[in-house]
Amino acid sequence: MNAVLRVPGYLGVGLVWLYRVTFGALFPTTCKYHPSCSEYAIQSLKTHGLVRGSFMAGWRLLRCNPWSRGGYDPVRPR
Amino acid sequence: MTHMILFSTPIIGPLEHIARNVLDWIHTHLGLTWAWSIVALTVAVRMLLVPLTVKQIHSMQNLQRFAPQMKEIQKKYKNDKQKQNEELMKFYRENNINPAASCLPMLAQLPVFISLYYALKQFSKHPPPGPQDFSWLHFVPNITWHTNTFWGGYVLLVVYVGSQMASTLFMSATADRTQRILFMVMPLVFVFIIARFPAGLVIYWVTTNLWTVGQGLITRRLMPRPAAPEKRTSRTPPKDDGDGGENGAEPKEPSPKPKPTAKAAPPRRVRRKKQAGRR
Repeated sequence: MNAVLRVPGYLGVGLVWLYRVTFGALFPTTCKYHPSCSEYAIQSLKTHGLVRGSFMAGWRLLRCNPWSRGGYDPVRPR
Repeated sequence: MTHMILFSTPIIGPLEHIARNVLDWIHTHLGLTWAWSIVALTVAVRMLLVPLTVKQIHSMQNLQRFAPQMKEIQKKYKNDKQKQNEELMKFYRENNINPAASCLPMLAQLPVFISLYYALKQFSKHPPPGPQDFSWLHFVPNITWHTNTFWGGYVLLVVYVGSQMASTLFMSATADRTQRILFMVMPLVFVFIIARFPAGLVIYWVTTNLWTVGQGLITRRLMPRPAAPEKRTSRTPPKDDGDGGENGAEPKEPSPKPKPTAKAAPPRRVRRKKQAGRR
């Protein structure tokens, strides 16, 4: 049952990977946070599932703007 | 039709419409052929994005300048990832480094590129009626044709691969070797997909890549890469003169404006070799 519940999260992880090999490769950049935004998205989707993980990744992207300081910002454990 | 249903989403639809209208405007008012209008539209978009990309290139150069010291920190705390990152972030703050370009502005580019992509795709499928000039530079007879259906298209694809690799070389900031190799190999994979795209789209890709390369070259020329702060190596014994002491203290308090003196010839040679390898 637990494994079934994880499937949507892993679909999200697949999308992040798709981004990485397409646009990520076309517009390579670095992130001011550690782990990087895409890595953070993968970790949060794996740990917190699709819905919560997506929100966390979205919030991180909004924080990753020119006015923020960046830094070490790991995914909160479940 | 499926294409329309799939991609004319509430967000992309209007953006695509704007891109198409701009293309029409360029063609009618500037008197350019359709192919050159695509080039002009691409250049216009890239010009709008200049402040963003220049800032990114500068912060990348700044980051590379401190690479030896950052590697030293990484090596020192390789067993404690959290401590390593804390130290790295502290190092950034001490040296006034803005770690790198942030992700949000980069993502903001995506809708622009996607809308251009769909506008050009739609344009190629439904070109304006009447006798029109769709040729480009004598080797592309029609920009609405699929790229792999005429010999000039293959020339275009070769130029695409070359320009994509060159732009990756300029824009990729990652120091991770595997990732760099992956980025370099990507165009060879993309080329099979892009071969089936209309030639107009490939003209767009080539233009945007060449712009990236040109921009990278100009930025580097205007702002030459600053000399890296001297690296402390255990093999270099501290010299008796005043420089030696300075050298020893530097890794603790690395100056943002390093003034390399003449004495550091052996480590400098080592560093140059590394850079050549990384490129």
